[in-house]
Amino acid sequence: MTSNTSPLINRNLQDNIAYLSQDCRVTGDAKGFVSIQRFLDTTLALSKQLPDDKQHVINLCSNRYLFLVVLCATIIKKHTNLLPSNRNIETQERLSQRYENTYVIHDELHKSLYGRDKISPGLFVLNLNISKIKNIKPKSEIPHIDLNQLVAISFTSGSTGNAKPNEKTWNTFVASTKINSHYMLPRVQATIQLLATVPAQHMWGLETSVFMALFANICVVDSKPLFPQDIQELLKILPAPRMMVSTPVHLRALFASNIKYPKLETVLCATSPLTQELAIQIEQIFNAELREVYGCSEIGSMAVRASAKTELWERFEGIHFDQQESNQILAHTDHVNEAATLGDFIEMQDAQHFLLKGRTDDMIDIAGKRGSLNEINKVLLSFPELIDGIVFFPPQDRPIPRLVAIVTLKTNTTKKQLADHFRRFLDPVFIPRPIIEVEKLPREDNGKLPKKVLLRFYQSLFN
Amino acid sequence: MSAQTEAEKNMAILLIEVLNLEDISAEEIDPEEQLFGDGLGLDSIDALEIALAVSQDFGVQMKAEDESTREAFATLKSLTDFVEKNKTT
Repeated sequence: MTSNTSPLINRNLQDNIAYLSQDCRVTGDAKGFVSIQRFLDTTLALSKQLPDDKQHVINLCSNRYLFLVVLCATIIKKHTNLLPSNRNIETQERLSQRYENTYVIHDELHKSLYGRDKISPGLFVLNLNISKIKNIKPKSEIPHIDLNQLVAISFTSGSTGNAKPNEKTWNTFVASTKINSHYMLPRVQATIQLLATVPAQHMWGLETSVFMALFANICVVDSKPLFPQDIQELLKILPAPRMMVSTPVHLRALFASNIKYPKLETVLCATSPLTQELAIQIEQIFNAELREVYGCSEIGSMAVRASAKTELWERFEGIHFDQQESNQILAHTDHVNEAATLGDFIEMQDAQHFLLKGRTDDMIDIAGKRGSLNEINKVLLSFPELIDGIVFFPPQDRPIPRLVAIVTLKTNTTKKQLADHFRRFLDPVFIPRPIIEVEKLPREDNGKLPKKVLLRFYQSLFN
Repeated sequence: MSAQTEAEKNMAILLIEVLNLEDISAEEIDPEEQLFGDGLGLDSIDALEIALAVSQDFGVQMKAEDESTREAFATLKSLTDFVEKNKTT
């Protein structure tokens, strides 16, 4: 092998890579642990089943183990994974128009509490639950991957489909996982059991619950439990040492549930700011250390802090911040081709440590999903029955704040129709709630709607 | 729309409070209408918020793995019935 390649997986073949919380009919594996060797055999078998005439793949598998198998099989096949930030049908269509020969792989349409995923009818679909992974042969060898191979494209904005693509080569993931593992994983010898409450498709889940399983001593749980009692029961089954990857929204629910959890070594939390109070509470109920991670979808994880003890972030070795004239920060690193303008203002305290100093105006963060207010307003303005309106993010004293829309609609148009319009284009968390219908917005004579005036108007609606 | 029972009305008030649904009134939630998907259009974070509120207000723990929880989340009526049946407080 030349030095321009690196192995698909860098672990002992006998170690475990995943814990299946139920029998996996797609691979023929029973509930329980899956070894690296078995994973490799399965992945190579699937790579031979993939279509020859395709190039881009949307991996919608909701089972984390199957997501990992599909990801690696498509990498071996030299297909590029598209990682949209939502599962909307419009997003799939937009991606397939933008990227040639796109297809979808899924493990059955994900039936969740809140409806079923849909797949764009024009796309070629590989349903693993029907096709299964066949001819799995033992003792496969670890393939090597070209470091320059484009393995994935993620999309920056959490709000709409016209997001900026971020190209990720194999080298991006190999290098970032090494750094991430150093800063995020507990220092233990045994294989660490990792339970994640976040989806594999998003950067935070991808970096931790997917790529760490390839390069660090990690065994991932295949499911994505949501409710505290589900999480507790899964953690009880796993042998120590254990860790969890989560978000402030999930952690808040875990703490509030008042149930007892097994000890964890580490809890990793990212996607939106965690309060110090909750950080302390989480350390107590899990008897664990909490590490909060700061990142962005373009670069990935960039810094870490022990939020129960300090406000100060430690920037990862190899990540650089350049302050621009606008005071905004341009982040870059050797293993990602492009730089990213951050949505936060940053104040360096010394060479490696910094404080976050508020967000720039456009970027909003709801339950860990980042979106651009500007883009969400474009979606509002594209509603044909709209006369005037604005979506904004008022200060709210709620655990999970939501956007608010104030609108004037044409006669005989209902708010429900507008909500349906939003639903077609936006991730559910960005759908404004409430939508308030008014006769007229308080615009100034020049047509402007200053933020102060808008907020005062909004408050007056509730008095 | 079918009429709400007293328990359903209280649950509707709780949902509106927990889920920032101030643009509709409690009476407007049809007991038989789908809460998730195309009905009220709730999302996964709402599911977590509802489960949290239900555990705090009624002492009922919900588990996504249980078929009964999936059924409970279908409508205002099914959620109310589920809580009434399982509540401890």
